[in-house]
Amino acid sequence: MYRTIQASIGTLLAFMLVVGVSACGSSSTSSGKGPISVLMGTAPDSLDPGLGATTQSYEATWITYTGLVTYAHVSGEAGTKLIPGVAQSLPTVTGGGRTYTFMLRKGLVYSNGAPVKASDFAYAIERTIKLGWGSESFLTENIAGAEEFQAGKASSISGIQTDDATGRITIQLVAPYGPFLNVLAFPAAGLVPSGTPMKSLNNAPPPGIGPYEIESVVPNKSFAMVLNPNWSKDAIPGIPAGHENIDVSIVSNNQSQAEQVLNNSADVFDYNDTIPPTLISQIESQASDRFAKEPTVSGLYFFLNVKEAPFNNARARQAVNYGLNRQALQRLDSGMLQPACFFLPAGMPGHPTNAPCPYGEPNAQPNLAKAKELVRQAGLEGAPVTVWGGSRAPHKEFVDYYTSMLNEIGFKATEKIVADAQYYATVGNLSNKAQTGFLSYSQDFPNPIDFYQLLDAKSIQPTENHNLSQVNDPHIQSELASLGPIPSSQLGSVVPRWQALDEYTAKQAYMLVSGYEEVPKFFSNRINFGAAVFHPVYGNDWSSLELK
Amino acid sequence: MEASSAPIPSLGSGLSTGAAGSSGPRVSDAAARHAWLARFVVRRLASLVAVLFAITVLTFLIFQAIPDGDPALRMAGRLASPQQVQAVRVQWGFDKPIYVQYLKTMEKVLDGSVISYSQQVNVEQEIVRDLPPTVSLALGAGVIWLVFGVLFGLLSAVYAGRWLDRLLSVVALTGISMPVFFLGAIMLYWLGYKWGLLPLGGYVPLTVDPWGWFTHMLMPWVALSVVSVGVYSRVLRANVLDVMREDYVRTARAKGLSERRVLVRHVLRNSLMGIVTLWGLDFAWVIGGGAILVESVFNLGGVGQYAAQSIGRLDVPPVMVITMLVACAVVVLSAIVDILYAVLDPRVRL
Amino acid sequence: MRTLLRNRVALAFGALFVAIVFACLLAPVYAKDVAHTGPNDNHITETIDVGGKQVDVVSPTGVPIGPTWKGRFFLGADSNGRDVAVRLLYGGRNSLEIAGIATLITMLLAILLGTLAGYMRGILDGVLSRLFDLVWAYPAVLLGVALGVALAVGGIDLGLFTLHSGSLLLPAFVIGIVFFPYVAKPLRAQALSLREREFVDAARVQGVGSLRIMFDEILPNLTSSIVVFVPLIIANAILLEAGLSYLGAGVQDPNPSWGTMLADGIRLIPGAIHLVLVPGIMLVLTVLSVNVFADGVRDALDPKATVRGRL
Repeated sequence: MYRTIQASIGTLLAFMLVVGVSACGSSSTSSGKGPISVLMGTAPDSLDPGLGATTQSYEATWITYTGLVTYAHVSGEAGTKLIPGVAQSLPTVTGGGRTYTFMLRKGLVYSNGAPVKASDFAYAIERTIKLGWGSESFLTENIAGAEEFQAGKASSISGIQTDDATGRITIQLVAPYGPFLNVLAFPAAGLVPSGTPMKSLNNAPPPGIGPYEIESVVPNKSFAMVLNPNWSKDAIPGIPAGHENIDVSIVSNNQSQAEQVLNNSADVFDYNDTIPPTLISQIESQASDRFAKEPTVSGLYFFLNVKEAPFNNARARQAVNYGLNRQALQRLDSGMLQPACFFLPAGMPGHPTNAPCPYGEPNAQPNLAKAKELVRQAGLEGAPVTVWGGSRAPHKEFVDYYTSMLNEIGFKATEKIVADAQYYATVGNLSNKAQTGFLSYSQDFPNPIDFYQLLDAKSIQPTENHNLSQVNDPHIQSELASLGPIPSSQLGSVVPRWQALDEYTAKQAYMLVSGYEEVPKFFSNRINFGAAVFHPVYGNDWSSLELK
Repeated sequence: MEASSAPIPSLGSGLSTGAAGSSGPRVSDAAARHAWLARFVVRRLASLVAVLFAITVLTFLIFQAIPDGDPALRMAGRLASPQQVQAVRVQWGFDKPIYVQYLKTMEKVLDGSVISYSQQVNVEQEIVRDLPPTVSLALGAGVIWLVFGVLFGLLSAVYAGRWLDRLLSVVALTGISMPVFFLGAIMLYWLGYKWGLLPLGGYVPLTVDPWGWFTHMLMPWVALSVVSVGVYSRVLRANVLDVMREDYVRTARAKGLSERRVLVRHVLRNSLMGIVTLWGLDFAWVIGGGAILVESVFNLGGVGQYAAQSIGRLDVPPVMVITMLVACAVVVLSAIVDILYAVLDPRVRL
Repeated sequence: MRTLLRNRVALAFGALFVAIVFACLLAPVYAKDVAHTGPNDNHITETIDVGGKQVDVVSPTGVPIGPTWKGRFFLGADSNGRDVAVRLLYGGRNSLEIAGIATLITMLLAILLGTLAGYMRGILDGVLSRLFDLVWAYPAVLLGVALGVALAVGGIDLGLFTLHSGSLLLPAFVIGIVFFPYVAKPLRAQALSLREREFVDAARVQGVGSLRIMFDEILPNLTSSIVVFVPLIIANAILLEAGLSYLGAGVQDPNPSWGTMLADGIRLIPGAIHLVLVPGIMLVLTVLSVNVFADGVRDALDPKATVRGRL
C-alpha cells in the first residue's frame, strides 16, 4: 500500500520538477509594435567589439560601434567606399603614408549619454589588443608602438596621440600600409568609453556610438538590438538611424531557419547560412519576391602545394584545372556558387574582367581527356595524393568530389577529413606536408592585398600558415611590394596592374579556383525587400530593415 | 546506444531483479536488520565516492588524449599573444605534470569556472541554461515509457501466446531494434513536414506556452520511449509470467480472488520493484545517451545537443564536464536505487 | 539446439541476417556488374535515362534523384551523385565488420576478466569488479563518443599495436570496451557460484592448477550464457556504431557506414528522404533479425532467462 503512495508522490515530484525546470527556459522579450526577428545559424563568437571576429559578430557590432571611419551604407560596390565615422572627415595622410591625422566630430555621445573624447580612440585600440582580438595583427603589425604595448613593454601605444581639447587624433604607422583605413573601419576599432573594463563583456556589451545598442544577451541563444535613444540620423551623415528594434535568435538547424522565414514566422535568414537544397526550389517558386542570390567577395578554392609532388609539376596543376567540373561544385553548393577561374573574386578591384580563362571556360564541361593526357605526359599516373578537407558540409562534399575527380584523371587520391575546428590548424602546419585540400577565403576588406596574403611568400610560416600553396614567385613578390603601400582610396589607378597580376596567377595555376560564393538575401513578407541594403562587406545591413 | 542498463544492482552480484527476488535467509530480527542496513549504506556510499573519483580521473584522462594541438593556444583564442597563451597555460596548469593538471581541472569544474575553448563561455552556466529541454525530454519520456511499458507488458503476459501478445512482441522487438535518431528523423519528416501535424523541432518553454511545449516535445518523447517501451514490456512480461507461476499466486487464485485482483495485488507489486530499479538507472542514462541523439535530430537545444555540437567543434571543456556530470549522476542514482532497494524489499540481502 | 531448430521464426530471421551479411560481402560484385560504379565515384552532373526521359542525377540546386529501381541508382543517388545501393552494401560491410570485431573484443575481455574475477576472488576480484562498475557507470553513448572523439583524430598507440585514425578498428575498439562490463558482470556472477560446486572442489582437491580449472571446468559451463550474449552484443554494437557515426565519433570519412549515411540523409531532410529511409530500414532489418534470432537462442539455451538480455 505504501508503495502506491510512494509512486504517487514520486510522480507528483517528477511533475513538479518538470514544470519547475522547464519554466526556467528563457525567451526573448518582444517590445513595441513588432520587433524584427533575425535568425542566425551560428552564434557570434563575441558581442564585445574588442573580441568579435566573425561575420556574425560584425553584423551586430558594425551598427553599434562606429570608429574613425566606416563604410557607406549602400549595396554593391558603392558600399566599399569609406566615409568619415566619428572623425569629421577622411584623414590627412602625411609622412609618405605613415602618419594619419583625424579631427573628432564635436558633440557626439555614447548610447549611455556620455560624451565622446578623442582619447577614447586610444583606449579602444588598447582594449582590443589587451583582449586579444582574433585579427589584432592588423593593428599590432601596423601601428607604431602597438607591438610593444601588446608585449607589456609599454603602458600605452606610442604611435597614437590624442588631444581631448582639440579633438585631434594622430596615428603613426610602422610602414605605409595601403588598407590601413579599412582596418580602422573594423568594429574592433570602434570607440568605447575610456575605462571600459579590459575583459570580455560579451554578456553585457559596452556603450558605443551607432544607431543600435546590444542588450539582453543570452550567450548562444539570443540577443536584442535596441534603437539607440541617443542617436539621431543627423549625428553622422552617411550612417542612417535604424527603423525597428531587432530580436536575434540562434537557430542552428538551417532547415528550421529557412522554414521559419518561408512561412513568415521569422523575418531574416542569416546570409552566412546555407539554405537546404530542397528548400531552394520551393523558395524560388513560392517566395521569389523576397529571395535573391547576392554575390560575395569570397572564393572557394583547392590549394595546390607547389613545394611537394605532384603539384610542383606545372602540368599537374594545369590538369586539375582542365578536369574540374565547376558545375558539379555549384550543385553541391545548392546552386549558390558562381563558377570562375580567377583567384580574386568578382567585386574585388583587380578581378580580371576581360581576360579568358587559360584552362577552359568555367561554365563549360570539363575537358577530362586533356586532363588525363597532361597527367600522363607528366609521368604522374598513379601518383599518390592526399586530399585534405574539413568535416563541415558542403565543404566535405566538395572534397569527396575533388578526390573522385583526381582518381578519374589518373592520380591515386585518398581523402583525409579532419574536424572542422582543427582543419586550418592542421593543413597550416607545414610538418603535415599537405599536398592539396579545400580552402575558402572571404575578404576582410575590399583591397586585393587582403587576398594576396595567401600567395605572399612572406606569409609562409611553420604553423598557422596561410599561404597553403607555399607560393614563392619573384614576380608576385615584386608586384606586391610596389602595390601594397598604395592606399585603398587610390586603388582605382592601379586596378589594371592587379588584373594583370591575377591573370598571371591563373596561368601559373597556383590555386585551383572553384568559384565565388553567393549568399541568400532572404526575408519574410513583412520586410521591405527592395529597401534593405545588402552590404558588400557586412551582409544584411540591419539598420536598413523596415517593416512594410 | 539508447536507454537501458543491465537489470542488475550495481554491486555486481549478477542477481536478476525478477519479482521473485528471493534467495537468502530472511532477516527477521529488526535490530540485526537495521545494523546490516546501516553497514550496507555506509559501504555503498564509500564505494560511491570511490567510483566518482575514478570517473573524474578517467574522464580527465580520456580527454587528455585528444590531440588538439596546444590546448593553451586554443583556449586563449585564435591569434592570441604569447603572453595570453602563457597566462592560460598557467591558469590551467598545462605546463605542469599531469596530476597538477587534474587537480586544477577539478578545481575549475567544482568551482563552476570552466570556460569553453572556442566560445569564451562559462560551460557550467551554459549547461544550466540548457537543462530545461533535456529534463523535459527525460522526464516526459520516462513517464511514457514506464506507463506503456508496464501496460504492454501486462497485456502481453495476460494474453500470453495469443495474437495480442505476438503483436506486442513484434512491436517491442522492432522498437528495440531501431536507432532512436532514425525514428526521430522519420517522425519529423512525416508528422512534421509532410502532414504538418506537429512542429518541426525546436523547444518552447513550459511557462511561455504550455501547449507549444507539449507539441514540441511530443515527437522527441515518443522517439525516445519507443525503444524503452520495448525493453520494459518484455522484462515485465517475463517477470509477470514468472510470478504467475509462483505458489502463492496459485493459492490466491485458489482462494477465489478474481484474475484481475490477483494480478494487480500480488504480481504487479512484486515485479514493479524490478521495473522501478531499471527505471531509475535508465533515467540517468537517457540524459547521457539517448538525449544527445534525440536532441540533435529535433534541435531541442538541451545539454545533449550542446555536447554534440561541442564534439563537432572539438571543444573539449563542455564535453568533459558533461561526461563527468552525467556519469556521476548515473552512479549517484544507482547508489540511491540500491539503497532504496535494500531498504524497501525485506527479502533482498545482497 | 533442437528447441532452436524448431523455432522457425527465429531461424527465418537468422537466415535473413546471414543473407544481409552475404549481400554486403558481395558489394564489389554488385558495384561492378549491376551498378557499374564504385562507392566513391561522383556522378554529380550526369543524367540517366528514367522512363525515356533524361533526368539529372543531382539537380542544379543539389537535390539528388530518388530510387530508380533499375540497375543504375537502384536506390537513388546521394548529394555527391554516388549510387546509394552500392554505398549501402559497402557501408554494410563496414558497419557489420565493426560490430563483429567489437563483439569479439567484448566477449574475449568479458570471458577472460569475468571468469578471473569470479573464480579468483580476493583482491583481483575487487579490482576487476571496480573496473567493471566504472566502465558500466558511463552512459554508453557518452563514453563511446568521448573515446571516439579522443581517438578519432590521432588514433591510438598501445605499444602492442597501433590504430590509425582512419582505421575501422578504432570504433570497433571503442564499442568493444564500452560493452564488456555488461557481459563480464553476469559471467563473473556465474563463475562465482560455479566455483562452489562439487566438481570444482574435486578438481581443486586433486591439485589441479587454477588456470586448468578455469579452462576445463568453469568455462564450459559458461558456454550457454556466452552463446546467449553474442547476438545481443552484435545487435547493440550495430546500433551503437550507427549512433557514434551519426555524431561523428565513429567511422570517419570517407569510409561509408550506415550511421554516416543516416547522418548525411538527416541533414538533407525533407528533400531526399530516401537517403534516410534506405540506411535506416537496413539497420532496423539487420538488428531486428539478430534480435529475433537472439530470442530464439535464449529460449533454447536459457529458458529461465537467468541471464537478462537487453543492454
